[in-house]
Amino acid sequence: MKNNVQPSAAGHAYASSKSTTDSGKPVIAQRNSAFKGWGVKILPPLIAFVVFIGGWELIVKLLGTPAYIFPKPSDIVRAAAENFNNLMVSVWTTIVEAVLGFLLSIVLGIGGAILLASNRYIEKAIYPYAVILQTIPIVAIAPIIVIWFGAGTNAIVIISFLIGFFPMLSNTLIGLHSTDTNMLNLFTLYNASPLQTMWRLRIPAALPYIVAGLKISCTLAVVGAIVGEYVAGIGGGKGGLGYAITIAASQLQTAFLFAAGLSASVLGIGLFLIVNYLSSLLLSSWHESEMKK
Amino acid sequence: MSSQHAFASETQRETTGKGRQLVAMKELDKVYGNGTVALSDVNMTINEGEFICFLGPSGCGKSTIFKLIAGLEERTRGDIEILGMSPKEARKQSDIAFVFQDHTLLPWCSVIDNVMLPLKLRGVPKQERLQEAERVLALVGLSDHRKSLPRHLSGGMKMRVSIARALASRPKLLLMDEPFGALDEITRQSLQDELLKIWQQDPSMTVLFVTHNTFEAVYLSTQIVAMTARPGRVSAVLNVDEPFPRDDSFRTSAAFSQWVRTVSEHMQH
Repeated sequence: MKNNVQPSAAGHAYASSKSTTDSGKPVIAQRNSAFKGWGVKILPPLIAFVVFIGGWELIVKLLGTPAYIFPKPSDIVRAAAENFNNLMVSVWTTIVEAVLGFLLSIVLGIGGAILLASNRYIEKAIYPYAVILQTIPIVAIAPIIVIWFGAGTNAIVIISFLIGFFPMLSNTLIGLHSTDTNMLNLFTLYNASPLQTMWRLRIPAALPYIVAGLKISCTLAVVGAIVGEYVAGIGGGKGGLGYAITIAASQLQTAFLFAAGLSASVLGIGLFLIVNYLSSLLLSSWHESEMKK
Repeated sequence: MSSQHAFASETQRETTGKGRQLVAMKELDKVYGNGTVALSDVNMTINEGEFICFLGPSGCGKSTIFKLIAGLEERTRGDIEILGMSPKEARKQSDIAFVFQDHTLLPWCSVIDNVMLPLKLRGVPKQERLQEAERVLALVGLSDHRKSLPRHLSGGMKMRVSIARALASRPKLLLMDEPFGALDEITRQSLQDELLKIWQQDPSMTVLFVTHNTFEAVYLSTQIVAMTARPGRVSAVLNVDEPFPRDDSFRTSAAFSQWVRTVSEHMQH
């Protein structure tokens, strides 16, 4: 038994070669080597994290900098704990706005790209304007959107959508145009209708590009939601993270400001990881970039 | 031997007796938009049931002839008819199938879904589709891999699936554009044998096969169309009147090497 548990190279080889034939022991060996892999992966960044946070705490404490200028990690944690309910309400509000904006940019981005790709003339006529639209800084037109749609969730969702829309559109469009010529010839030879070619060939072939667009848009959607909240404010409902940040900044609650900022980035990372996971499910059956090594 | 075999140079071939006239090309020219003369004054008739290899260096217009026959390109001058129809009309009747050098399988579809694709696009009912797919997969010996994805298959197996897909539409005319060009020699030879077997089983099926490999052309064909480049012209049409079925003993026979020599001589002109 002890021989098998040794987390050595031999134990690893044993696990991989015999894991299916034997019942109990190899599983232990496998778990052990898997744990070792995790250790190598997790341990160095964990140590770096502890050193960084500890150093920060120590230096700020020694210098005696007031918390409203540069809070210690412990101040941030305390501020987050004291206002935990408010913080969670803000995070939730921002999640809802960002996800709604993201979903809108998926539907309209992919839909728009399919429409443009299905007719060369429509594409030639409209795509340049889509590019120009993208170059307008979103912050510059955000107030207009607030005027049109009212200060509140509607405007924020639309700002979040606008910022994520173009990467979705252009990525999907590139994907739809990058179908292999021989494949297109094949569909022509089998007398496929444009609709069949789009549905059975061009869209599935564009999937890797669409997924790349999703990954860009999902983090941008969070940025868009927070920018939207800066401009649109609370609008009668509950304020999101952007609103919490503006309030905390005006009241010099720097520790809470840090907590809100960190929550925003955690939110972005979380959304990205979910999209990443879903896209690997979507692609794993065929595309090489997502293939298991 | 070399002096006895029949060949005709730059003349229209008469029917060889095997079948009716399938493809007729008359004074066919193809000039691409950038001024490249891909084909110049091609006159040829192709009869049903033949196995014809188009042999020549790159740039001799072999692939262009195929695209004209398949209706993927329009001719510049001259006439081309398939069973009395335009290439596009013939294609609409699903009489033509194409196999590319690249296997062109949909990577997200299983082997059987790939094979059923042409039938699905044509709206053939599911039960019929499955039956037909099973038939052609059995023909190429891949019945056991029906659920596999293309990326789990070897190069030779992918090409087999690609051939099966072409056969699934029961074409009268099978166009193959250097299908074995990317395969190793051993796989290539076994696929050549399988292809000949499939062709012999269906006397009405005509195969047009592009290659730049003289050995391959001699081994497979009833007729070799030798082409020269810039502009693409037919330099000779040779009847390889060796009996079928052909196997490895033909590959090593004196007659085979004699044919290879004769064909090579025509290629150098």
